[in-house]
Amino acid sequence: MTTAASNDRAGLLFTAEMYGLQLDQLAELQGGTMRQARALAARWASAGLADSAVLSQGPPWVWLTRAGLQACGLKYAAAPPALGRLEHIRAVTAARLALQSVPAYRDGGAYWRSERRLHARLGSHRGVRDHLPDAEVHWPDAPASGAPPDWAGECWAIEVELTPKTVARTTSIMRELLARTGDYGCPAAEARVAGLPARHARAVYLCSPAATGTVVRATDALGSLSARIAIRVLPAAGYLPARRPP
Amino acid sequence: MSGAAGRLAPRALAAAAVAAVATVLLPVTLVAAISVAAASRRGWQPGRLYRAAGWCLPMLVVWLAASVISRHSLAAASPQLAWLALGRGQYLTAAVLIAPLAVPAGLLAGGLAWSFRLASMAAQAAGRSPAAAVSFDDRQWRHQVRAAKALIAAPGAVPLLTHGGDFVAGAVIRAVGHPARALTVLPESRLRSHQIVIGATGTGKTTLLLRLWAGYLAAARRRQAARMAGPPLIVILDCKGGGDARRIADRARRVLRSAGAGNVAVWPDEACLSLWTLPARQLVSTLVDLIEHGTGGAAYYTDVMEAVVTLAVEAPCGRPSSTADFLARLDPGWLGLAYSAGGYEDQLALARSAARQVPDVALRFRTLFRRLGPGLDGPGNFADADVWYCILEGTTEVAVAEAQARALVDLLASFVTQPASGPQRQILLAVDEFSAVARRLPIWQLYERARSLGLSVQVSAQSWHGLAARQDDRYRLATTAEGGIWLLGTPHPDPVIALAGQRASLDTSRQLAGRLRWRRHGSSRLRDKPVADPNRIRAFEPGQAAYIHHGGVTFTQIKRLVAGPAALAAGPSSERTLAVAAPPAAPVLPGDTVPPRDTVLPGDTVLPVLPDVSGLLDAAFGPPP
Repeated sequence: MTTAASNDRAGLLFTAEMYGLQLDQLAELQGGTMRQARALAARWASAGLADSAVLSQGPPWVWLTRAGLQACGLKYAAAPPALGRLEHIRAVTAARLALQSVPAYRDGGAYWRSERRLHARLGSHRGVRDHLPDAEVHWPDAPASGAPPDWAGECWAIEVELTPKTVARTTSIMRELLARTGDYGCPAAEARVAGLPARHARAVYLCSPAATGTVVRATDALGSLSARIAIRVLPAAGYLPARRPP
Repeated sequence: MSGAAGRLAPRALAAAAVAAVATVLLPVTLVAAISVAAASRRGWQPGRLYRAAGWCLPMLVVWLAASVISRHSLAAASPQLAWLALGRGQYLTAAVLIAPLAVPAGLLAGGLAWSFRLASMAAQAAGRSPAAAVSFDDRQWRHQVRAAKALIAAPGAVPLLTHGGDFVAGAVIRAVGHPARALTVLPESRLRSHQIVIGATGTGKTTLLLRLWAGYLAAARRRQAARMAGPPLIVILDCKGGGDARRIADRARRVLRSAGAGNVAVWPDEACLSLWTLPARQLVSTLVDLIEHGTGGAAYYTDVMEAVVTLAVEAPCGRPSSTADFLARLDPGWLGLAYSAGGYEDQLALARSAARQVPDVALRFRTLFRRLGPGLDGPGNFADADVWYCILEGTTEVAVAEAQARALVDLLASFVTQPASGPQRQILLAVDEFSAVARRLPIWQLYERARSLGLSVQVSAQSWHGLAARQDDRYRLATTAEGGIWLLGTPHPDPVIALAGQRASLDTSRQLAGRLRWRRHGSSRLRDKPVADPNRIRAFEPGQAAYIHHGGVTFTQIKRLVAGPAALAAGPSSERTLAVAAPPAAPVLPGDTVPPRDTVLPGDTVLPVLPDVSGLLDAAFGPPP
């Protein structure tokens, strides 16, 4: 019972941080089947904590209601995931799930700071030029148990690229991510201060096949900074069923 | 003797009458004398005393009202009472009783007397000798400078912008043809017009430029906040280069950050721009202009070069994306292959006919790009920062600086003309030490069409001759500086002063009666004299400037902007030092050998070796694509 409650809590928090997720991803998160995930979503819905609907191809989406967010202690605006961002949300969720599935991630005590959290932190102070990464992964200097990984203490920016931007724009975003020194929401004067250590030790790009070429070219154009960019292919589970690449 | 007595008698009578009136109105006389002494000591204009008298009017009104209420008469009893109190030795009571009347009247009388004194000295009609006017003016100048320095030393007395958003440069020393205020206030629109700054080394030119840039930025931010214009962008071309330029860049970064700049990019040390983002036609023109070519017979090679560059840039596969890409295209084989797809017969024929010259063109561009360095090879564009401080090594490598300046201005012109999605950006192009690049940077072309594009141009030089190589060009620049001309200490201010115009002044001559004795007889005539005294400008102390605009001049003590503290360097071991928008390494061209890099350039930051995370990422997402 305790494990179930703990899973419930973790699932609610995960769902809140990711704006919402599809039932197959909820099932993967809980390590169960689709049927179990559907039952869980129904339980949340009956408690008034979550809502569910078919928003795109594939399984229904589930997201937290105002009561659900309050139960999690989060002050996000309660709303279903934006239709125009469903693809992106699914891709970022898949990236998080893939990363969480690796033992080194769990052992290192990494913390996923979602875009929703960053956005909420910025509030109305977000400048037109601020680019938010899709997530940050914080690696504590000393995890709760075990030896720290070599990259302990680092903060990574996670970027999911489904559609290709221009090389210039991608390079500009990469430079902004790598040059940033202040936290999101800090005074503008502290955002980029020469001489201070960069906020993001590296940026991890998870790309669709269509966007990979652009990201690779943009990385090449970065020169010496390219050592701080890691590029990987987005997991197949990161696409909506109809959009899944061959 | 009797004639002399006859002449002296009326003067003595007049003096006695004045003395009698002054004695009868002793309190007024005292206030007038004090106010004149203060005006002389502080270098005030008479208007200041008049204004002070005006501010005393409420006191006068209250005093009169009190008299009317207490005595039911407008004839106040205070003067008589004051005299009575004075007779009884109650000086404080006497002063209080007479002050409401004596202070404004005294200030008014003092103002009139001081005005008369100034006018007499300006006409050289007062003083024991004609030279008295010169020493009086020098003395007044010293007093005015002292007062202006005291004003700018007072904390908060000289803001960057007024409440109305106008720019404040510093404290007024003296104004001729401009309103006499305590502070040199320029309407914000002047900063958005073209301006010229001339001043020799060590005269405070950098201090003034930093203030002008900060003022422009702060005013532009206000306009942006009011949705009257888009975000500001300042592009500074420091054409001197060297270590000094880097120190100024650091100071500019701190000052401009305080004024509202989100990010300041220092080119090419810390950031890059991409020449290859220019539209194809513009790119061809810029590339050809980057290479110096002669006239006469050399024009043939220029035409060949332009044809080859056009073929390389406008190839069917798109324009080149980098220096290496461009140089790779300057190959007869590549050009032939690029246009062999069909439909490009003319270009193909051109490529074949120019095949013999292509290697020569490639050689020239290879040499050029090697000298230019990686700063123009991207990535980056002007939208990436609010301020671009571009350092051009105009002292050591003039030809390179000229080419860089040309490329940067072309990039900026292209950036300005791009259709904007929001309100038009406010852009200031400031070219410092313009003479270093003036030969090949026709900046007046920008002057002509800049206003309509929201671009202001500010040119600064060490001297009049440093403004441009030819006299015509200098006058062209100076006469289109609608925002005014700032003249700091310079040995040859005359041409600029001539542009400021002249004003009518009285010139009085006196008869010499003997050794160092002058009669009071003489004659006066009106003559034109320069609005600004060139000798005064030659003798400027550091921090003093003459602002010339619209036929007037305001001598100003510039208020120095205090920059925030420099950023602390990251510790060598405990803190990570990561590159901030560092430029990429120089493109390795075909056939190049990479020289060992054993020196750390200014702006370089050391990249630590990051731990390998590929194991984790491979486990989560698979191998890299």
